[in-house]
Amino acid sequence: MKDNIILKIESLSKYFGALKAVDDVSFEVKKGEIVGLIGPNGAGKTTVTNLVNGTYSKTTGKVFFKGSDVSDLKPYQIARMGLTRTYQVVKPLVGMTVEENVLVGSLFGRKNRDNDMKNAIKRAKEIIKLVGLKKKKDSLVSDITLPDLKKMEFARVLAMEPEVVFLDEVMAGLNPTEVEEASNLVKRVRKEKELSIVYIEHIMKAVMGISDRIVVLHHGKKIVEGTPQKVINDQAVIEAYLGKRYAKGIKEVSNEG
Amino acid sequence: MGLQMLVNAILLGGLYALMGIGFSLQWGISGIINLSYGAMVMLGSYISLEFFNLFHIDPFISMIMSGAILFVLGAIIYRGLLQPFLKGGIVFTLILTFAVRLIMENIILKAWSADYRTIRLSYAGSNFQFVDAYVPLIKFLSFIVAGILIYLTYLFMMKTKTGKGIQAVALDKEGAMAVGINVEKMYMINFALGTALAGITGSLWASIYSFSPHLIGIIVGKVFIIAILGGLGNIWGAAAGGLLLGFAEVAGASFLGSQWQEAIGMVIMVGVLLFRPHGLMGKKFFG
Amino acid sequence: MLNNKKINIFLLIIALGLFIFLPRFLSGYWVRVITTIFMYAVIAQGMNLMSGYMGYLPFGNAMFFGIGAYVTAIAMSKGLPFLLAVPLAAITAILFSIILGLPVLRLRGHYFAIATIGMSGAILSVVQNATEVTGGAMGTTLPIIDKAPGVVYYYFYLAMLALMVITTLSLYFIIKSKLGFGIRSIKANEDAANSMGINTTYHKVIAWAVSALFTSIAGALYAYWMSFIGPDEVFDVMIAVNTIVIMLIGGAGSILGPIIGAFIVELFAEVAWSAFLEYHLAVLGIIIIVIVIFIPKGMVGSISDFTKKRKLRTGKKVTV
Repeated sequence: MKDNIILKIESLSKYFGALKAVDDVSFEVKKGEIVGLIGPNGAGKTTVTNLVNGTYSKTTGKVFFKGSDVSDLKPYQIARMGLTRTYQVVKPLVGMTVEENVLVGSLFGRKNRDNDMKNAIKRAKEIIKLVGLKKKKDSLVSDITLPDLKKMEFARVLAMEPEVVFLDEVMAGLNPTEVEEASNLVKRVRKEKELSIVYIEHIMKAVMGISDRIVVLHHGKKIVEGTPQKVINDQAVIEAYLGKRYAKGIKEVSNEG
Repeated sequence: MGLQMLVNAILLGGLYALMGIGFSLQWGISGIINLSYGAMVMLGSYISLEFFNLFHIDPFISMIMSGAILFVLGAIIYRGLLQPFLKGGIVFTLILTFAVRLIMENIILKAWSADYRTIRLSYAGSNFQFVDAYVPLIKFLSFIVAGILIYLTYLFMMKTKTGKGIQAVALDKEGAMAVGINVEKMYMINFALGTALAGITGSLWASIYSFSPHLIGIIVGKVFIIAILGGLGNIWGAAAGGLLLGFAEVAGASFLGSQWQEAIGMVIMVGVLLFRPHGLMGKKFFG
Repeated sequence: MLNNKKINIFLLIIALGLFIFLPRFLSGYWVRVITTIFMYAVIAQGMNLMSGYMGYLPFGNAMFFGIGAYVTAIAMSKGLPFLLAVPLAAITAILFSIILGLPVLRLRGHYFAIATIGMSGAILSVVQNATEVTGGAMGTTLPIIDKAPGVVYYYFYLAMLALMVITTLSLYFIIKSKLGFGIRSIKANEDAANSMGINTTYHKVIAWAVSALFTSIAGALYAYWMSFIGPDEVFDVMIAVNTIVIMLIGGAGSILGPIIGAFIVELFAEVAWSAFLEYHLAVLGIIIIVIVIFIPKGMVGSISDFTKKRKLRTGKKVTV
């Protein structure tokens, strides 16, 4: 495997009986890249995430992370190696505060580092400050707004000190200002923490503006892969997913961004 | 296994099958582990006892009364006590149904004492022969009745509007809501159906065996096993589970001695839970 | 509780001191009642860790109580002194929890609770039938301590009190620790916990082993205290029911809840049972229903809610 490829997904498939949720999907992620993973609802994006992080068993295919085959590892083992994900529908640790949630990520994220309480708390506090949740750190997760929940989940994942993060529809439910704020946060964090990100999204503006490369899924298959420019201009993508009118609007956005 | 043993096992299993279906439906569809189920069965027995002692009505007829009374009781208990606390999770529903059991057990104890009771039917001793095995008439009649009722329950679930509504809710709660099915009503009717089946089983039981409040706990133990063997909410699964338990008990009693009866059942249940949690019949579905 | 940690510790130490000297002022009967309260508090703490903190209800947890009692009885009948029999009983219970736990803790929610009932029933049946080893359904005896009854009661009172204190302190430190966060995360959201690097199976097994440890020691003490145990008594499903009611009243998921609950439940039982003898089942049933309806969060939870609401109303800053 080439040196700068941190994640390699090879012929991944997941069949639920006759339903091919994911069908022979392969792509790579380089260190420090942001790869956008897009496609209409049901295209298989979250399924790919679940396959990669070990939540689902694979019908076929392999996953290589930092050169090792992680295809048969359990989710907690994969997480500890540095491959993490957030949830499309947030899964906060109910009954705990924001700080405690991030602390859990900090305590359990990585092996081979200082995972004792004192260091973990320190790390959690830093991350909370980084994402801008300091004021809400003692609030119960049941008492905060959706954008803050998303920030918290992001912070939780960052506290794990990951190398790859699958951000699953992190923008869902946010208004345009919040989307902008979140995009900037992701860009800033990527730079500071040297992360590689697989960015699963619907909202075109967010994905196009932030991704280095884009992978497009449709009905479980990969239909196109390339730079945002290439993807927008690809006929198959435009027809199958974006629609002609929409594609025109995207062209304008990407010309700006 | 000799023919007589086989006959005994099947007759017992048929009764167990009917008994287990109610509990399985309540757990599998309404999501309630009903620890008062044993008391419900016994109440059916005592209702038939009263109808027999007061009006000389045969339990095979008074079972209809048992079924009706227990249906209403089940609906009231579900609506009044269980439904409001479903969100509390398993701890709440377990402890609430246990509370119902305690209250019912106390009522039965006060009304009828702890003594074992029987219904002495005039035709109690008759039996007929099948090859070289004796088939007691009452047990045979109960078996037939149980079989008919199981089939009727199946038809109810498959053919009637309410039954299909219950099925829909069991398969996809959100989908059922989306098409306008009153989900809570379906849960309630399903639960009441379960208690009705318990009551009817009690009547049949009373015609064959003696009964007392002591049996309340034992019955709950048995229906657990039957429900898990068959897969929660699965009518034919519970029927198969009942038959299996009948076999296990009859065979166990003769090969190992009756003391090991309960242990066998428990061991089978834990085994199934560990290796096939969806029951022997596979995924939960109807028939 | 109250906001000042130092005051809390001070109050608890005072309470402890009071308990130690209380028996001098009580009759033998009440000493035994309070010993039973301490014992139930221990069993409830075992359940509290599993259910209140981790979200897995081991309805059949009394099996460890029975195992603790029987291993102690059998060991002592072979000549082992009590202080060696207890660790043996505890280790046996822990081994059971691990061996049974590994397959069964994979099962979520309802299934786990039921599986533990099944296991408890199966173990009960085995004990009832293995007459040569366990004395069967008739029960078995333990050596009687050669001292005055009053002294013996006091010893067991202190032993149970010590066990309760140790159990509660252990729980306190576990919950504050990294292990505790892992355990609580399982209840909060097991999927998310897995994806955050928590080995949930490991945490579940450890939690159950700890639960088994304390419950079995309570059983061991009980057996030696009673000098005679029977299978129906130490594997009784009512132990589990009682424990759940204690957790409900006291408040699950809190450190002191089980202790408060044990006092309330057992003291009420003492007062009420003599008054309601023939109806005690129904009364218990009605009480359970009333508790569930009116104080579902238990005493600790309700008081904590109450103080929070009061602070919001009076405008004071809310500290959790």
